Amino acid sequence: MMTFSMKRVNAIFMKDWKDLQRNGYVLITLALPLFFAAWLGRIGAGEGPLAAMPITFALVIAGAFVQAAMVAEEKEKNTLRGLLLSPASTMEILIGKSLLSGVMTLVVIIGSIFLADFRVPSLPLFTVSIVLGLVIFLAIGTLLGLLSRTVMETSILGMPVMFIFGMAGMFKEMISNETVVTAINYLPSEQLATMWAGMESGESVGGNLLVLAAWAAAAVVLTVVVYKKRRMD
Amino acid sequence: MENIIEVRSLVKSFGNKSALKDVDFSVRKGETIGFLGPSGSGKTTTIKILTAQLAPTAGEVRVFGEPVHLLKDPARMKRIGILTDNSGLYDRLTVADNLRLFADLYGTDRGEIREALEMVNLIGEEKTPVQKLSKGMKQRVTLARAVLHKPDLLFLDEPTSALDPANTRHIHGGLKALNRAGTTIFLTTHDMEEAESLCDRVAFLHDGEIRLFDTPRNLRTMQGRPTISVLLKNQQTVTIEPDAKGAAAIAGFMERGELVTIHSNEPSLGDLFVQMTGRNLA
Repeated sequence: MMTFSMKRVNAIFMKDWKDLQRNGYVLITLALPLFFAAWLGRIGAGEGPLAAMPITFALVIAGAFVQAAMVAEEKEKNTLRGLLLSPASTMEILIGKSLLSGVMTLVVIIGSIFLADFRVPSLPLFTVSIVLGLVIFLAIGTLLGLLSRTVMETSILGMPVMFIFGMAGMFKEMISNETVVTAINYLPSEQLATMWAGMESGESVGGNLLVLAAWAAAAVVLTVVVYKKRRMD
Repeated sequence: MENIIEVRSLVKSFGNKSALKDVDFSVRKGETIGFLGPSGSGKTTTIKILTAQLAPTAGEVRVFGEPVHLLKDPARMKRIGILTDNSGLYDRLTVADNLRLFADLYGTDRGEIREALEMVNLIGEEKTPVQKLSKGMKQRVTLARAVLHKPDLLFLDEPTSALDPANTRHIHGGLKALNRAGTTIFLTTHDMEEAESLCDRVAFLHDGEIRLFDTPRNLRTMQGRPTISVLLKNQQTVTIEPDAKGAAAIAGFMERGELVTIHSNEPSLGDLFVQMTGRNLA
């Protein structure tokens, strides 16, 4: 029978919160997007083609990278097994393990908005896009963490992910292959950037939301499947 | 009495290598069962299958009367406690924080943490970060975590392998108390003294097969009748049969004030294991 207990989710969240306060690697990683946003803010990139970069960078680094490191560390130190062998269900563990990264990513995004002078076009729609972005990047981070054996390995596996999901848009102009450009346009970071630009100019963003929702659903399903497979030796 | 664990024709293979070959056994409610064997004999594989961490290749495994795969259900998981050789702890967190997490996951009152720490002799270490503990102390924390919620069925994989004799004795006392309170215990060990001290029945596992499965007393006496060694004041050791003639001889030594010590010469479980398998346990 499917069970869900907020108490168990909260227990995992509180454990991660206490652990984070003593985890230098994760704290430094969380600060990186803020430095990047401050730099972009200083060079006045708040309204140019790089406008969305601080937010997508925050999602990739704070959302995916930190989440991957936290999940991989649980695997590396054999603590994930303890959670798996406890009464906590798949959903409780996945949500509990994503909650802190989610909250920290939101904090980093809010900080980045101020530091980079990013103009939020429409708060309700922007919030929806950020929630979808969070789900996508946290799920990607969890996947990366589950597929890595060590925290170090997440850096190696994470590099192409960071490049594709965080920076591919920057190189679009240099690519002549139409198929590749179209594929890049469908990446979540590009959909978010296009959506925010569209909101600014009053265009419809329903299509972007649909693509992001599809990414979110696919990422969550894939994460749950991989997690369940990794439960057994 | 009700069987808590039932295993029929269990086979587990990893590629071409057979880890368990047609294993049959059952564990009754309230028993403490020991699986003894050297490294690679299949002990940990057995525990992993019994706790649904590993799927059997063939055979039937039932825990609490139900197929073992149902253990993945959180409500059923609450009934078991597990200490495995690779149970990890959160290094940066304190001992108490590690146990609080699991108290909350199991829905156990946090007051039970103190009792669990008492059982593993770690009172006073609540605020110590786990990374500052010795290997033996970490093992005691993982044991505290496994017993925190007073499970119906407790799986212990080499529970005292890294502990000194004093702490081992203390923990054995705690495990016996837990067993008296109703917890069924399934443990693996290669420590014969531990098996003799804790277990109602012991299985000798060798190359993935159960070679013997009986009470420690029956196992010790099955290999012939024990004898008695008597050490006399003149440093001579006399071996005596445990019969009327032997009793009269001992009485004579005592009357003449010649007797220093008397020892029974039962084979230990370790001796028996070597006899059965040709291998040592370590």
